[in-house]
Amino acid sequence: MNGADLARFILWRLAVAVPLLLIISFGVFALVHLAPGDPVRALLGTRPSDPETLATLRARYHLNDPFIVQYGKWLWQVLQGDLGRSINGNRRVLSAIIERASVTVVLGAISTVIVLVVGILLGVVAALRRGSRLDRAMVMFGVLGISSPAFVTGILLLYVFGVVLGWFPTFGPGRGFVDRLWHLTLPAVALALSVMAIVVKITRAAMIEEMDKDYVVFARARGITPARITFAYLLRNALVPVVTAAGIIVIGLLASGIYVEVTFALPGLGSLIVDAVQKRDIPLIQGTTLVFACFVVLVNLIIDVIYALIDPRIRFTSVAS
Amino acid sequence: MSATPKATEAPLLTVRNLSVAAGHGPERRTITVATDLDVARGEAIAIVGESGSGKSLTAKAIARLLPQNVFASGSIRFDGLELMEIPEPHMQRIRGRRISMLLQDPFTMMNPLMRSGLHIEEMLSDRSEFSSRAARSAELERRLGEVGITGEKVAQRLPFQLSGGMCQRVALAAALARDPELLIADEPSTALDVTTQAEIMKLLKRVQVGRGMSLILITHDLRLAFSTCDRVYVLYAGSLLEVGGTRGVEADPQHPYTLGLLLSEPPADRRVPQLIAIRGSVPRPDDVADRCAFDDRCDWRADICRVAKPALSEIAPGRSSACVRLGDIRGEMRALRRRALEPIPTRPADATRSAPLLRVRDLTKTFVLRRGQHVHALKGVSIDIAPGESVGLVGESGSGKTTLGRCIVGLETPTSGTIEVAGVAIADYSKLSRESRSRIRRTLQMVFQDPYSTLNPRHSVRRSVGEALRAAGHHRGDAHARVHSLLRDVGLPEDYSGRRPASLSGGERQRVAVARSLAVGPKMLVCDEPISALDVSVQAQILNLFKRLHDEFGLAYLFITHDLAVVRQVVDRVYVLYRGEIVEEGTTEEVMTQPRHPYTRRLIDSIPRSAVSRNL
Amino acid sequence: MNVQGKAVHAERIRHVAAAPGLVIAAMFVIVVVAICAIFGSGIAPDSPFTQRLAVGDQPPSAEFLAGTDLLGRDVLSRTIHGAWTALVGPIVIAAGAFTIATLLGLVSGYLGGMVDTIIMRWVDFMIALPAPLVAIVVVGVVGGGYWTAVLVLIILFTAPDTRIVRGAVLEQRPLPYIDAARVLGVSKTRILFVHVLPNVLPIVLAYVLLDFAFALINLAGLSFLGLGVEPGTPDWGRMLFENRTILFSNPAALLLPAAMIILTAVSMNLIGDWLFERLTR
Repeated sequence: MNGADLARFILWRLAVAVPLLLIISFGVFALVHLAPGDPVRALLGTRPSDPETLATLRARYHLNDPFIVQYGKWLWQVLQGDLGRSINGNRRVLSAIIERASVTVVLGAISTVIVLVVGILLGVVAALRRGSRLDRAMVMFGVLGISSPAFVTGILLLYVFGVVLGWFPTFGPGRGFVDRLWHLTLPAVALALSVMAIVVKITRAAMIEEMDKDYVVFARARGITPARITFAYLLRNALVPVVTAAGIIVIGLLASGIYVEVTFALPGLGSLIVDAVQKRDIPLIQGTTLVFACFVVLVNLIIDVIYALIDPRIRFTSVAS
Repeated sequence: MSATPKATEAPLLTVRNLSVAAGHGPERRTITVATDLDVARGEAIAIVGESGSGKSLTAKAIARLLPQNVFASGSIRFDGLELMEIPEPHMQRIRGRRISMLLQDPFTMMNPLMRSGLHIEEMLSDRSEFSSRAARSAELERRLGEVGITGEKVAQRLPFQLSGGMCQRVALAAALARDPELLIADEPSTALDVTTQAEIMKLLKRVQVGRGMSLILITHDLRLAFSTCDRVYVLYAGSLLEVGGTRGVEADPQHPYTLGLLLSEPPADRRVPQLIAIRGSVPRPDDVADRCAFDDRCDWRADICRVAKPALSEIAPGRSSACVRLGDIRGEMRALRRRALEPIPTRPADATRSAPLLRVRDLTKTFVLRRGQHVHALKGVSIDIAPGESVGLVGESGSGKTTLGRCIVGLETPTSGTIEVAGVAIADYSKLSRESRSRIRRTLQMVFQDPYSTLNPRHSVRRSVGEALRAAGHHRGDAHARVHSLLRDVGLPEDYSGRRPASLSGGERQRVAVARSLAVGPKMLVCDEPISALDVSVQAQILNLFKRLHDEFGLAYLFITHDLAVVRQVVDRVYVLYRGEIVEEGTTEEVMTQPRHPYTRRLIDSIPRSAVSRNL
Repeated sequence: MNVQGKAVHAERIRHVAAAPGLVIAAMFVIVVVAICAIFGSGIAPDSPFTQRLAVGDQPPSAEFLAGTDLLGRDVLSRTIHGAWTALVGPIVIAAGAFTIATLLGLVSGYLGGMVDTIIMRWVDFMIALPAPLVAIVVVGVVGGGYWTAVLVLIILFTAPDTRIVRGAVLEQRPLPYIDAARVLGVSKTRILFVHVLPNVLPIVLAYVLLDFAFALINLAGLSFLGLGVEPGTPDWGRMLFENRTILFSNPAALLLPAAMIILTAVSMNLIGDWLFERLTR
């Protein structure tokens, strides 16, 4: 692929991402003012509400300045790496995030692998055995998976494998590499199941759609081997819609991960956000949401690039989509 | 024509009692009844049929490429080998190497993500002499050369970057890459332009004769079958009705259906008073299981035709017919043919031209696509249509003919130029006053190409036509009566008004569409390929309808089509459009018999014809 | 579970209807749930609110068929009453989101141009946001509440639904029957509502059911985090929140509401898929 074309594509995507991030940051910033009551009270938390504390808070958060200026100052701070301090405990938001990020990332990574590998595999098999009982089972599995949110599946899995069978621990992240993997297995599976169902459905549908197309019939008519047809013809073409969806799937995975972390009491970014929300810790909410959103946009960009690399047609038709 | 096959040699392909059906048990739907076929080595046969005849699935059955839920039974002997009994892996080795297939749509036939050259290369990889890259490239070049493609570039391109004709050539090379003995070509030129069609068919013929290969051509176009093949099998609603050598069948058809089909196709070399259309539409095979498939629509039907399904019986060496009344009606059939093909003189050009109803001057239309690409659809087109005059606009895809039609009725706005209707400038519809616009819309109407999407699927016939009446300002209570009268005008029974499009055939839907456009009482109809999406036997019906309406209501037409034969029958004057420019104009007679522009000549030459039709 | 998944799922899948027997079973389930929702007090053996701390946290018994929760409330009764919040909110969300989406989709798909670009930019933006995150944060900051959650979800669901409707409209727009209406001079409004809408409506109807299932899941999820219904309300998601600690002593208190969530969502999905297949034949 033409290097210059690719570079131009990436730059364009980045350019589009920036306004998106700005809007998100603006929304995140405005959260403070969404909370009922005086923003100062919201930022107070559990501290005493004497005039001095209030005044200090007002000064620190520039609450006396016009809205736009507040936003500007806040944004400037953020770009310098200062995400503020948590109300409860006065810890720096950034450190809290970094501490917790690893659990979320590992959980997300394991789930992504399970979802993509197993999901695509099952989808391909179901399509190749179209109409058989295996296929019908896969379709049912698909419906079941989509209807079972991660927190519900999590609880069920917890009960069966954690309580009844006692094979896996029921909470916490574990210590050390192997122990951590063991602790993260149930959560990763719970997370993967609901999203995997979508991948199976998409892959199966994409494969079946390709299987009925003329170019497959023509390939068979020319005596091309079934193996080559499955890979070079069917899978290659079916992967295009799957990859398009993959980006969206990965984002969904990250978002659903929040619920899983809560269910299994994992100290990750997701449970941090939920915690912050439940405790109304505004600076913490702002910081974590911003980081999360940035990550989402980044993943979207990567997926877009992968998509462009896979499907030559879009390279030729347009840069912007 | 190729050399006639040696009578002594056993046929390469012998098909006996092949019947194709969809589904199982109670849901079984017959596609064809037991049919027999023979193809000798080096022979080209055609299986001709309209939609619903089962021709395409019969072809796929021979290659054992039927889709899911469709099954075939019977015997297919290929060079002594019984194909219906061998296991799939064996069949897979036969495909490509001994039997190959070419499909209809050149674009969908190719893997969209694979370079076109690779389609051929991947078939060479199993031969040791092509293991080196250089050897493969050389072979690839040779094979592309065989189909008329020279130069590196094409092989490197992806299918969507090539034209229809190019893709079809590459596909042909791919189908032939392992040098099969039999090629089954399923409507190989239908999706192409007329001129490209002619090129591809010539190529196919050249390749077939050059390789001594057998060919089974599946087509709905009788003329194409006659000009390309040695023998023809006529298939209708799942039954074979006639078989014979092409010269014989064309000169003297021995079945009412074949005759009807021949007469439905408008002759390109003369205008006839009326096309002999076959009334009704193609039935489902199951509905005619116990009688002659053509019974409902046949002019010579009698009780004997309904006793049982007539079998194909030999009436002369190499000729068979399934008509049980043949002896009685032969004479009448021949007489009908002579009468139907008697030319009538075309109307002489009107010396005193009244003020034109439609006046288009220097019309241009440029489309701007993404990435700044400009498509110049129209480059300065000027045409005139007098009131009550029937004018044809002939061109292929990319000529801009549809764009011109759409500009005239206001679906597109031209980039520059003028359009005047009865003196009112209408190039930009949005600039007209509401009153003018409304008046113009009652003067001009359009009939569209695809009968299957020209009507709103959720509206009944009455509703669709009623909407037109409403738009014309007709709010009186007798809308129902008006609808019925319009239906009668287009030849449909009144009780159709409650029906939805899904229960109507293609021809019927197109009639409703015409009724709809007549509802506003227009003076001119712009018809954009109104019959090309219909079955051949129905096309003639609709053409006759257009002729009748022209005579009855004094309608003017702008008849847009790619088919010169159609033009010959319906219009008095013709414009030939090529790549956005008018390259020729004149009366139909002039343009058809003495074309001046090379493109017009090419168009006329592309009409498939055989020696017979010229010497009647 | 998430809005993106929904957008993808809805657009790209050619839905496969399950065996007719299953679809009927699904309809049966929905009917049962609806009856519970409407006649809850008549069916439930006990009040969902009465606390009996003495018999709190008991496994299933003859008196309490599904046991009691920490505060001694009858789990079965709470589950039956929970059907109400499981049906009402999602119906409002699905209907509300799709009504707005239909209007936006019709206008955007048919008119094209600037209007379309603006609407689709907004849609793309909304879909790019991780919806559960936004829901959690916004609902949480504003102070929680069932109807707040419903409102936020309507806004979040409107975007992918708009894309679906617009897609359906775009399929119809180039068809000749629309051109014919334009050439007849039918007004744009009339074309949209009399000509295009009837052809888009069947698909919309099928998707409304699928939307319902997603709405139920998201709503229950918010309650699971303590952000949805008010404390004390019998609600399946809320019950999962409250009873997490008694997983070991009375698992029924968790399993029953969990099973109900899945059962209701699966049933709606099955019916939606079946309707989709019937309408796109």
